[in-house]
Amino acid sequence: MTAVIQTVRLSKWYGNVLGLNNVSLEIEPGITGLLGPNGAGKSTFMKLLTGQLKPNIGEVLIWGKPVWNHCRHLSKIGFCSEQDAFYEEISGWEFLTGLLSLQGFTPAAAGARAEEALAIVELAQDKDRKIRGYSRGMRQRIKFAQAIAHDPDLLVLDEPLSGLDPLGKRKIIRLIKDYKMRGKTVLVSSHVLPEIEAMTSDIILIHQGRILAKGDIHYIRDLIESHPHVISIKCGNVRGLAAEFVRAGFVRKLDFGPDDDTLTVETHDRDAFFGRLPAVLLENGIQVEEISSPDDNLQAVFDYLVGK
Amino acid sequence: MSSNRGTKLALLGRTFRRVFSFFFFLGRRSRKTKVFYVMSGLPVAMAAVIKINQMTAGTGRDVVNSVFVDILMMFYLQFLIIILALFYGTSICSEEIEGRTLHYLTTRPLMKSGIILGKYGAYSLLLSLMVLPSLFCSYFVLNAGRLDRAAVYLAFLRYAGVMVLGILGYLAFFAFLGTALRRPILIGLAFGFGWETVLQYFPGSTQRFSVVHYLKSLLPRYSPGRFSLLTFRLEPTDPLISVIMVLLISAAFIGLACLAFSLKEYISAD
Amino acid sequence: MATIQEKGYGHWDGRLIERRLPWWPITRTAIRMAFRTRHFKFFFSGAFIPAIVYLVGIYVSERLDDFRFMIKGSEKFLVINPGYFKSYLTGDFLIFMMVLLMVFSGAGLIADDLKFNALQLYFARPLKKKDYLLGKAAVVGFFVLLLTLIPAVLFIIFKLIFSGNFEFLTSYPWLPASIAGYSLLITAFFACYTLLLSALSKNRRYVAIMIFAVYFFSDIIFGIFNGIFNNPYFSLLSLKANIQQIGAVFFGQKPPFDVPWPLSLAVLVAVCVLAGVALNKRIRGVEVIR
Repeated sequence: MTAVIQTVRLSKWYGNVLGLNNVSLEIEPGITGLLGPNGAGKSTFMKLLTGQLKPNIGEVLIWGKPVWNHCRHLSKIGFCSEQDAFYEEISGWEFLTGLLSLQGFTPAAAGARAEEALAIVELAQDKDRKIRGYSRGMRQRIKFAQAIAHDPDLLVLDEPLSGLDPLGKRKIIRLIKDYKMRGKTVLVSSHVLPEIEAMTSDIILIHQGRILAKGDIHYIRDLIESHPHVISIKCGNVRGLAAEFVRAGFVRKLDFGPDDDTLTVETHDRDAFFGRLPAVLLENGIQVEEISSPDDNLQAVFDYLVGK
Repeated sequence: MSSNRGTKLALLGRTFRRVFSFFFFLGRRSRKTKVFYVMSGLPVAMAAVIKINQMTAGTGRDVVNSVFVDILMMFYLQFLIIILALFYGTSICSEEIEGRTLHYLTTRPLMKSGIILGKYGAYSLLLSLMVLPSLFCSYFVLNAGRLDRAAVYLAFLRYAGVMVLGILGYLAFFAFLGTALRRPILIGLAFGFGWETVLQYFPGSTQRFSVVHYLKSLLPRYSPGRFSLLTFRLEPTDPLISVIMVLLISAAFIGLACLAFSLKEYISAD
Repeated sequence: MATIQEKGYGHWDGRLIERRLPWWPITRTAIRMAFRTRHFKFFFSGAFIPAIVYLVGIYVSERLDDFRFMIKGSEKFLVINPGYFKSYLTGDFLIFMMVLLMVFSGAGLIADDLKFNALQLYFARPLKKKDYLLGKAAVVGFFVLLLTLIPAVLFIIFKLIFSGNFEFLTSYPWLPASIAGYSLLITAFFACYTLLLSALSKNRRYVAIMIFAVYFFSDIIFGIFNGIFNNPYFSLLSLKANIQQIGAVFFGQKPPFDVPWPLSLAVLVAVCVLAGVALNKRIRGVEVIR
């Protein structure tokens, strides 16, 4: 699949502070989550992608074309900034139609697209209110609306869900997933891990300006050999199950839950464990209620990579 | 190569049109514009007071003329348009950075130089719409008894032309300051009320290093021997050259502003 | 058996010690930030030029014979009397520099707080509105007093040192009180003027222009109307002229304009009252959006 975004040795300094350090990657169509703590370089990366900042070293290519001071392909990019900043003295409607007119749409087309975008973010009823009077959530939604109103092929969203209530977040997440179904590309950043997990399993982990990992979250987890996998099994006979595994070389640790109905296993070879588990359960007639991997998630992966 | 240049020019033109209409709309809606409209209307009140005084005191026509040139034109040229141009000129870039709205423009298919040109055009028109009605009213209030003369209208057109040129020139200079400097206001005040005020009294070619010299050179001249405060110590330049110089100054500084805006990155403190 | 303490909020029975000067951190921070502004130190240093010139004048006045060749005909300007102090304290350049310093250090005092919604942060602490305003006003006061009270007091001190006796003070015993009174009045006026304009907008650039423009405009209007009508009462329109009127009264000099000085004082007080009303309305812990 042809990469939509390519960066080659991308680095950015703010004076003496290194914002981004030697980032080389490709982003394909679909949803990619950009994950990192505050100050990791997410916003810097997104600003470099959208041509707001000039790379000190390296280059950014979108659809094979450079970004800095080349504006034509920006008509196919939608950017939702993290900053809460607007032209406050106009209404939501005027804001959207104004920005669409800057995009090149005629007044009639801008009006139609603005109506559609406002309906999507559920601000149609408040479209004539001045943005100055909008609540935090409404401001976030109008910001998202201006990013999608012109139906871009690439969406770059910097913390798009901040300030939204849970229902609002669900709607936006569903919308972002719809974008993927239509073959568009979405790069979304967040430091709220469940939000990213709800949208995608393709992630880029960034920390202190460097890319720690990129790819499917489960694949990344498997690569982290230094941390044993943790598997939790809820069943009727935890001690019997534990006895079967206590001699296995690939098991590092066994832990019993407080109610004695859960066994937590730490293993450095997940495949070997799951290869052996079905046979053990059948031989001993153990009925399993639940099997889960508490650390097969973004939080654990991130914590391990960042070194907590 | 030429088709590439042609495409760039076409994109520049489109950017200019779009940015012009958006910011002319925004500028009209701004609260500060309303305040500046009131400020621009004060010379009309002054003119009305002067006219009433003239009618009651029976002051001569020539005195009224000199009042318009030496007082009101002085107010317009050496205070009002400088203040307006300073605020709106520096706003071309600074308001986007301070308001953190710059990314709405730079993440759209708009040429950076076109953004500056578009805003410059929008604010030039806005300032002209602020100043010219006020100039019109104050001039015709003071010349209320002479409206049958064509010369009155021709003189007004000349004054209006001087105002528009002044707006273009100062707005371009302050736009450049706004793109090049982080805090352009003080340098702007020093230029507008220091450099421009002081230099016009210097002899010889030194005067020609100020914008106001060329604007004053375009004003109607009094008969020789008649004292005019506004044109005191003026060694005028030919009117045609003055117009060309102001347009060149405007073009040069707005060009520099476009260049600075295109090359610089503006990093907002998040 | 050990008791298990339930975790909960424990009431603290101690006494909350309040700062005796709750406004001081606001003032201190704003002054520090002003000095960090580029070019501020340059303009601030420039504002002391008149003080240095007048101080040199005091020295020269005590050594007139040595400098007679330089100051031929100008000896009358070097008579050190209350008029000398009035001349310094109401000088056009000094007042202009004070306005410039207000543009630098005062434009963002309240405007920035309104822009960044910081008022809620201030009033979420044990800080009253009057402490907040006092803290902001004290920033203006710091700079104005540094240019008025301090140099004037130094003039007296150096005059006494250079003359070697207390004759100057015995001749004008009321002079220190005049200096203090005038300095405090000017400080109060400039603080009110600056804070009023700073509170009217969230845009610091706009406030900076308005601080300069209103001052300049008032003087231009006075000049225009005085030139046309030749009526000194138009001096009431000019902030600078009113300051100079009051300054002359404080130092027992003839006022520059033939206008009763209470009217000039009333204009300055009116600005302060207007500032009080506007600041009381604008400075609120919660922003009301209509």
